[in-house]
Amino acid sequence: MSDVDITSKEMDGMGPKGTKIGLARVLGPAHVWALGVGIVLVGEYMGWNFSVGKGGAYAALIACWFAGILYSCVAMIDSEVTSTVAAAGGQYTQAKHIVGPLMAFNVGLYLVFAYTMLEAANAITFGFLIETVAGMTGHEGLDQRPFIVLAIMFLAWLNYRGVLATLTFNLVITAIAFIAIIVLFLATSPIFGASPLRHVELMTGLPYGWLGVLAAMHFGLWYYLGIEGTCQAAEEVRSPARSLPFGTLAGIMTLLIAASLTWYVCVGLIPWEYLGQAGVPLFDAARLTGSTTLMILLGIGTMFATLASANGCINDASRAWFAMGRDHYLPDWFGAVHPTFRTPYRSIIFLVPIALIFALGAPIDQVITFSILSGLLEYTFMPLNVIMFRRKWPLDSIRRGYEHPFHPIPALVLLSLCGVTYFAVFLGYGTQLVAMISFYIIVSLWFHFWRYRFVRRGAQFTMPWPRPLGY
Amino acid sequence: MAKYIPPVQSKIGQIIDVIVLLVLAIGALYVPLFMKLAGSDVTHVVPENPTWESLGQNATMVEKWNQLGYADAASAAEIITARFDYSFSIGSLLVMILVIVGYYFIMLKFSEKEYRDVISEKFDG
Amino acid sequence: MDIWTLLEYAAWGLSAIFGLYIIIDWFKTDTTYSDEVLMSSREGALEAMTEEQHKH
Repeated sequence: MSDVDITSKEMDGMGPKGTKIGLARVLGPAHVWALGVGIVLVGEYMGWNFSVGKGGAYAALIACWFAGILYSCVAMIDSEVTSTVAAAGGQYTQAKHIVGPLMAFNVGLYLVFAYTMLEAANAITFGFLIETVAGMTGHEGLDQRPFIVLAIMFLAWLNYRGVLATLTFNLVITAIAFIAIIVLFLATSPIFGASPLRHVELMTGLPYGWLGVLAAMHFGLWYYLGIEGTCQAAEEVRSPARSLPFGTLAGIMTLLIAASLTWYVCVGLIPWEYLGQAGVPLFDAARLTGSTTLMILLGIGTMFATLASANGCINDASRAWFAMGRDHYLPDWFGAVHPTFRTPYRSIIFLVPIALIFALGAPIDQVITFSILSGLLEYTFMPLNVIMFRRKWPLDSIRRGYEHPFHPIPALVLLSLCGVTYFAVFLGYGTQLVAMISFYIIVSLWFHFWRYRFVRRGAQFTMPWPRPLGY
Repeated sequence: MAKYIPPVQSKIGQIIDVIVLLVLAIGALYVPLFMKLAGSDVTHVVPENPTWESLGQNATMVEKWNQLGYADAASAAEIITARFDYSFSIGSLLVMILVIVGYYFIMLKFSEKEYRDVISEKFDG
Repeated sequence: MDIWTLLEYAAWGLSAIFGLYIIIDWFKTDTTYSDEVLMSSREGALEAMTEEQHKH
């Protein structure tokens, strides 16, 4: 049944001999943008401001831009590789073709855990926001749990029903959340009359010196964490070679703008000590402008951003899990596609209880750190990946949808920034870092010595590429 | 190279494999919590009878604190004086570097071995 | 009972409806179609197809 190499002579392509039911190819570049930005934009509404707490306001700006460079490298590298390796699973499939099976297994787990944890964090924030709103109307002691569960169940249902509706929904709510940030910036800027921003009076020096700037990199990643998720849609976009680079690069530009504006408005309104530990900073900033309209707008923005992010996370985590099941890296039962909705429905169902366990049972800072660390391990893999990609298949050997410039500078920059971020995480979260990597070492050994025996060897290499140089 | 035919895994085996993965993942999240090693140290050096001046807050900052719901300096003092402890030992830094580099080294080595099999079966088979 | 308490119940109820929908549809799908059809998706199907076209 599944012992089929679709690139072999007998079983070529779709149709009666190959895939009977595959994922639906229905998405355009706007959906790719919505998937990438949708996952990340919540980072401007909550989380990034912990970098202010870790190093002060200026440190957060420096971290914002250095993390911006890190992610620009991520976006460029990803665009090149994924415009060539266009399959569900994204970086997992890239690793499988370029580095090797064990790396692919690890990358697949990074993806699933980074996104499922982020989804849990979003659901927790959603519940917190509802409770805050209830508190403002005078209702104390609201039970957050039904709202957390509802957010996850509704989005799982949406994902189950089909990718086009899911990402169109994401497009709308992400656009509203992004516009809310722009409106807040315009309304508070001195362009239209008196501005409530007080940068001169509120800004202080670096409270921790330059060590704080390094430490701020830890949460600096939050401004952009998840933009690489655009790759997961590769098997569902109509023309991957064009849409993926376009959607991803447009996404990172959107986020660079949103991150800088968010920083500018927030530090001009809120003392850094408060900002550094705030739960919903943009909502607080809107509150401090004294305008009820802005407060409601940014409240809605926060809610939409958490939903858009959780929605994209369900989409991405299930694609990665599905792709691993399809290759027998995980039980192949997960590699099924729904005949009507054309979604990896078993993977979507399986990840729902996992997300619920973490959303209802784990503290949010643990969940966030687990997510950041999985992301960081993934970014460390990317430069290795692209260097090997260029070495095994030089530019003239296969056609790429997009070629990133200045190779290998982006790869080396990315690798050194990852090193800096490891150090930043080490300052304060060293134990989690070691616990996490121990986890990945143990599962790697488990995979190499046990699980890999169920994987077909040659058949998992599905791209129609020539033999890699040096093999 | 001969084509590798993987064994068929039983349903129970599949379920066990998924459970093993989940237990390991949840363990990685909760073990640091149970060992009380999670999170970074925050110190609070709150002066006695804090005033806005002694906390280094200027008039604009005080106005913002009031707007945020902190009516006097004492209520905000805890937040204002919170500082992370960034001291660390060289030893633990070296352990971390060793763990990260070791992890990638093991993984790349095993991957390379598996990858050569894949390529030879794919292109020679 | 104020509006927020009602909303709590509504949220539980809606969660159950979405959950039930998924579970019922999952059961129906798995009993209607064989695993062979459901798990027939192959990675790289599109690439293989374009390759095929280039050859003609």
